[in-house]
Amino acid sequence: MSAALSPPASPRSWRQRVFGAATFRFESLLVLATLTIVMTVLSPVFLSVSNFFNIVLSTSVFGVLAIGMTFVICSAGIDLSVGSIVGFSGVVGAMTAANLNLPWPVCIVATLAAGAFAGWVNGFIITKGMIQPFIVTLGMLGVARGTALVLSDGVSIYGLPPEVVYLGQGRPFGVPAPVIILLLTALVAHVLLVHTRFGVYAQVIGDNENAARAMGVRVERHKTLLYTLSGLLAGLAGLLFAARINSGEPTAGLSYELTAITATIIGGTNMNGGRGSIVGTIIGALIMGVLQNGLNLLAVRPFYQQIAIGAVLVGAVWFDRVNSKEGWRR
Amino acid sequence: MLKTLIAGASALALTLAVAGSASAADKPLYGALMKTLSNPFWGAMEKGVDAGAQKADVELFMEAVESDQATEPQLNACNTMLEKKPAVMITAAISSTNLLPCLKHANELKIPVVDLDGNLDPEITKKAGVDVAFHIGSDNQAAGAKAADYLISALGKDAKGSVLVIEGLSGNITGAKRANGFAEELKKAAPGFAIVASLPGDWDSLKAANITNDTLQRYPDLAAIFCANDDMALGAVEAARAAGKDKLIVIGVDGNVNAVKSINAGRLNASVAQLPYLVGMQAVENAKKVLAGEKVAEFTYVPTLVLTKATLDSKTDPLLQYVK
Repeated sequence: MSAALSPPASPRSWRQRVFGAATFRFESLLVLATLTIVMTVLSPVFLSVSNFFNIVLSTSVFGVLAIGMTFVICSAGIDLSVGSIVGFSGVVGAMTAANLNLPWPVCIVATLAAGAFAGWVNGFIITKGMIQPFIVTLGMLGVARGTALVLSDGVSIYGLPPEVVYLGQGRPFGVPAPVIILLLTALVAHVLLVHTRFGVYAQVIGDNENAARAMGVRVERHKTLLYTLSGLLAGLAGLLFAARINSGEPTAGLSYELTAITATIIGGTNMNGGRGSIVGTIIGALIMGVLQNGLNLLAVRPFYQQIAIGAVLVGAVWFDRVNSKEGWRR
Repeated sequence: MLKTLIAGASALALTLAVAGSASAADKPLYGALMKTLSNPFWGAMEKGVDAGAQKADVELFMEAVESDQATEPQLNACNTMLEKKPAVMITAAISSTNLLPCLKHANELKIPVVDLDGNLDPEITKKAGVDVAFHIGSDNQAAGAKAADYLISALGKDAKGSVLVIEGLSGNITGAKRANGFAEELKKAAPGFAIVASLPGDWDSLKAANITNDTLQRYPDLAAIFCANDDMALGAVEAARAAGKDKLIVIGVDGNVNAVKSINAGRLNASVAQLPYLVGMQAVENAKKVLAGEKVAEFTYVPTLVLTKATLDSKTDPLLQYVK
């Protein structure tokens, strides 16, 4: 391992300095702003502090998943198991508290550890077995969900310690706790992705794995770490989910992996790897949150919401293709 | 690029304006949060709530989520609905816990909470400090028992035979109550029948069809199949008829459109109709009473009706008008 991979020393603009060389997709911010204006015009209730928190609160669980997904996708991988891990880790955490009567710190640690463990298994099998991440995490999608159902016997486990519930329902300084957790996680993840070797290596692996190996990056170890991180964040999302509804639900997070991938892609992270942005991912997640919230306020049937989100997803990437100087080259 | 964006945005705005053109009359606003609309049972419930709102002369704000597994999206929709400050929140929670934080907030805002279709567990709501104005729904235990009674009336009290029970989603309270009600009544009233298997069909018609096929391999002389909902009963009846078992009695629960069609076509034998239309309508009527300060029973069970070819053909039962 050498220091040869530290970020380029050439002079950088403030934008690059703060957001990293791979900045977020600026258009996504415009889409978010436009949506906000449209919704404000259409529904008088939309633009209020309480509704703003409401939107970010709705975004918090899949937002945390999308942060982990950003790391995995920009290393040219994919993690389909995160939705199931939300259910699995939530059930494990709820069981330590409700069935085993263990104190609240154990509940939190167990939930996070369950997620990280599942993620580590993903990474271990992907690297040791040299199997595509799509297949391994698809397998974990089934294994984690099934384990959650087996552990809980299919029934949600009600009753978490009040300290844990506070993480989902508390409002320090009037701000919902999951909102604070999401923003803190995003901040740490942003620094990790842009300003540390860990994040830069992830992008280098995504850009060209062989080149990364030639440069001395321990690709296998690094990939395992990336999937463990994704699992850990899925555990955090599971903790938030369980805390929000005060119970561990085996069906929690069903198909959230797709929501997380959607937010990540809308945010400008390249599906082929090599480029990712946490800021973009958060904007992508907020676009989906604003769409859902606004359409709910307008009482638009949920079927249309799915159409709208699908259209925004493909539209965002299309914009990128048209406006990107790189064109079809990644 | 900006031009394209503006064009796209205005197109979106136009669509939404058309979709969301709500009348802002001075009528009180009733919020109704459903599970899903992609299922005939909930579609009928939606129509009933709609009819009730028209009868009560109130403005209705109805929302649903994409599937009956989307617990967190439903919680989010519930919070969003509270932003509109409705006079009452009529909620059909997906699980007994997923809406609790929102319902508690509604309590704090002095908005009465109605449990539509009996999805909230009174024990859990009490523990969570959530005050429910009233619960309204169908008695699922009784629905199962009625299915058993139908089977006994069809084959006789002293008949013998093996019976297959296809349950709902494992762990789901509704399906469990229906299956229990059926099993208990059958054991009590006609001990000659033996339930040879009771398996979860996860509300899925294809799964129910597979279970039927598998069970018929082992018990070719199966006398009857009870399914905890109509979707599964339709899967089971098609599988049974395809296997040449024309005498096999198949009973479902819900009384949904497709079941009525199948009964009329002489395929499905019976369905215990839950009358969701009536449940939805009465929920709104009772909510109006609560808001007017009148007393409403804590639990209301809407009657059920056993649909068979005979009842459908005679058209005499007054409850038939609520079978939608």
